[in-house]
Amino acid sequence: MPRRPFVKSVLTVAATVSVLALCIPSFASGTDASEIRFENHQFAPQMLSVRAGQPLTIKVVNASNETIEFESFKLNREKAISPGESITVGLPALSAGNYDFYDDFHQDVPEGSIVAK
Amino acid sequence: MISAAALAVVFAFVQLSSVRLTNPPSMGELSAPFEVSEILRRSCYDCHSNQTRWPWYSRVAPFSWIVVHHVELGRKEVNFSEWGDYYPLTRQRKLQWMQRALQQQVMPPWSYTLMHRGTRLSADDRARLQRWIEIELTENTSGQSK
Repeated sequence: MPRRPFVKSVLTVAATVSVLALCIPSFASGTDASEIRFENHQFAPQMLSVRAGQPLTIKVVNASNETIEFESFKLNREKAISPGESITVGLPALSAGNYDFYDDFHQDVPEGSIVAK
Repeated sequence: MISAAALAVVFAFVQLSSVRLTNPPSMGELSAPFEVSEILRRSCYDCHSNQTRWPWYSRVAPFSWIVVHHVELGRKEVNFSEWGDYYPLTRQRKLQWMQRALQQQVMPPWSYTLMHRGTRLSADDRARLQRWIEIELTENTSGQSK
C-alpha cells in the first residue's frame, strides 16, 4: 500500500521536529534563553553575551541563603528573589550595548553586565 | 458554607501570631533641604525609613503581615534612615529609580494613598523632588569623578 511509507515519513519528520523543539526551546519560540546564578555573594556569569535584536528570557537563580534583588536600571527591571528561588526575566530585543545589573540589597556584590552584540 | 462564628474564631486565632513593628535606630539619616525632607517624611518615610508611623491596622492580622512585609521590602529598596551609609554609586542608582518613579507616578502606590490620603504627591511636590534629585545626581556624579 503506497500510503504507509508516506504516513511513516510524516511521523518521522514530526518526531524529529518535536525532539529538536524540546532540545532548543529558545529557538523554537524565537526567544533566546540564558541563566544567571547568584552564589557565594556574586553573580555568575558576571558578563552574559546575548544577541542584539532578539527577545530573550533570563532565568535568575538565587542559590544563596539570603534574599537578593536582581536589578537593572537600564533594563528597567527589579525583582526580589528569596533564597533557593528563581525568577524569569523577559526582555525585549535589545540594541547593541552594555546593560549592567546588580543586587540592590547588597552593595558589595560586584555588578554584572549583559552585553548585547 | 462558612459561618460568621467560624470566621470570627479564625480571625481571633490569627491574632495570636505576632509580628514585630520595628523602628531601628537611624544609621545615617538623609540630609536634604527642609521642603524636600518634609515631602519625603510625609509621603515616603512610612515604608522607606526606620521612622515608620505604624497604622492601627498594622496591629491586626492578617493586615499586619502584609504591612510588615511591605515595609521590610520598602526599607530594602531604599531606606532614607541609612542614606548616609550607602555607597555613592548606590545613592546614584536609588536617585535614578526615584526619578523614574516620580515620572511614571508609581510612588507612593495608589493602594497606600487610598488609605493615607495625606501622603499623595502634588504636582508641586513632584517638581520639588525632581529638582532636588537632579541637583543630587549632578553633585553625586561629580563627587565620584574626584
